[in-house]
Amino acid sequence: MNGLEVGTELPEVSQRAELTTSVAYAAASGDLNPLHYDPDFAGQVSPTGGIIAHGMYAMGLASRVLTEFAGGAERVAEVNVRFTRPWPLHSTTTFGGTVTNLDEEFATVRLWGRNDSGEQILKGVGKIRV
Amino acid sequence: MALNTDKIGTSYPPYTYEVSREKIREYAMALGERDPRYYSDGDDCVAPPTFAASFTVTKGGQAAFADPDLGAHWTLVHGSQSYRFGDRPLRPGDVLTCTPRIGDISARGRNELLTIEVDCRFADDTLAVLSRAVIVFLGSAPGADAATTGASAGEGTA
Repeated sequence: MNGLEVGTELPEVSQRAELTTSVAYAAASGDLNPLHYDPDFAGQVSPTGGIIAHGMYAMGLASRVLTEFAGGAERVAEVNVRFTRPWPLHSTTTFGGTVTNLDEEFATVRLWGRNDSGEQILKGVGKIRV
Repeated sequence: MALNTDKIGTSYPPYTYEVSREKIREYAMALGERDPRYYSDGDDCVAPPTFAASFTVTKGGQAAFADPDLGAHWTLVHGSQSYRFGDRPLRPGDVLTCTPRIGDISARGRNELLTIEVDCRFADDTLAVLSRAVIVFLGSAPGADAATTGASAGEGTA
């Protein structure tokens, strides 16, 4: 990859979580936990008192940042994330990454997802083949 | 009730997962993916990396949750997730053999961390993807007061 160096910022991906995005991800992934689409259930168990997006939906979007930058799924060697805050419906998260290390084989990327208030809902590390 | 640490290292019987073009498409669409290969009808079709979620998170956890000796319960959050991929992405028609294993159990304050690994292999036994999920069980650590279970998450929230 040309022009790749430590400190390179990857193009960001922003996404607003809605009931439709949550239901679509539930169906696609097979994770049917009602916390992600049932307001009554979420009202009883959710840390926010309401529906929150799947953590794996956030991971998928963070991984999109990595894959789109790398130029394809075959270049992604690893994705590791921690879910640090819930992502409530009707709010937007922006995902991005920064290259933190580079060798002959791999670029290491620090990944993040931030909500409208700038708080991290996800942080992680990805490795892409250069 | 605390998780049973004797279960660390336990492997569960493997399950198979067949990758299909329509599931790849559905998954890519749910994430707003833009690579045309995810939607291709041709031989160039591949799956996005985190498509692995569709056969590791729920299916991988099932065996552990069905094990009566492990002591899993439903006051939990997904704390972290990692995927290490093999030499090529998944393609339609791949039949994977996936073996779940209890990687680790540890206590952190009042909560317990359960690491579930799922080792997924292509038909020729090379690595397709290795999944590591850390599930945070709230309030069940040895000595934690069950009456205040779930009062604070802190560790993970999804």
